[in-house]
Amino acid sequence: MTTWFDLAESEERAVAAFMARVAALPTTATAPDAVQLWLKAQLLRRWDAERRAQLPLDVMQPIEIAAGLAAAALLLYLSLPRLF
Amino acid sequence: MADVDAIATAPLPHSQSDAVAPLDEAAFSTFYRQTSRALWAYVYRVTGHAADADDIVQEAFLRLLRAGPDAGDEDRRRYLYRVASNLVVDRWRAGKRQQDDERASRADDMAAGDLRASGPGDADVARTFAELTSRERALLWLAYVEEETHEDIAAALGVGRRSVKVLLFRARRRLRDLLKARGFS
Repeated sequence: MTTWFDLAESEERAVAAFMARVAALPTTATAPDAVQLWLKAQLLRRWDAERRAQLPLDVMQPIEIAAGLAAAALLLYLSLPRLF
Repeated sequence: MADVDAIATAPLPHSQSDAVAPLDEAAFSTFYRQTSRALWAYVYRVTGHAADADDIVQEAFLRLLRAGPDAGDEDRRRYLYRVASNLVVDRWRAGKRQQDDERASRADDMAAGDLRASGPGDADVARTFAELTSRERALLWLAYVEEETHEDIAAALGVGRRSVKVLLFRARRRLRDLLKARGFS
């Protein structure tokens, strides 16, 4: 089995030991409160649901406007001989 | 750019060994308490910026809550690290040139931040680790601290599974060289 991607055993131990020290370094995490995150997520989920419900209306509205304008243009075109 | 939205809206995978329980507020609070500090530490060590770590950790948990609760804690934890890693990758790609230039100053910032409540040698450890690239730090952290499989690391960092072995070897070799240069026993 190839060992091209392996370090020497002592080197591997040194890397592992160093990474254990890195993991143990103290940090001053300032993560937000769980309750705040929960409430924010519920609000986002409600907005997602509202956006999904609104989507068909948002898609159809420009189509309706375009169809109305096309119908008006057709009526005007068909009426032109009578107007002039 | 990593497709974080696709990950956020995709259903969470089930692990047969994990009990599937709905994620109500109390369960989330417990899960958050168990995982948030470790996740923050990972993101901070990889990005070198506490503010970025705050944003990314918050965004990862919000995406977890939006994606749905039907998964065990271990699946949720892996999902969190995957989303957080993808958000980090997005930031790399957005500011890659700036990142390379700031690596040296970030090493000093991280070391200075750690000095506030640290033991002897902690500043040197932090400074040495910060000299690696962000990707090398992420690879080594996921492999050694979180003990992720190559497959999970590949999914988290958006690289091919077969590339992980090579990338990880290079990261370990670079760290080995830094340790020798800095006189770490």
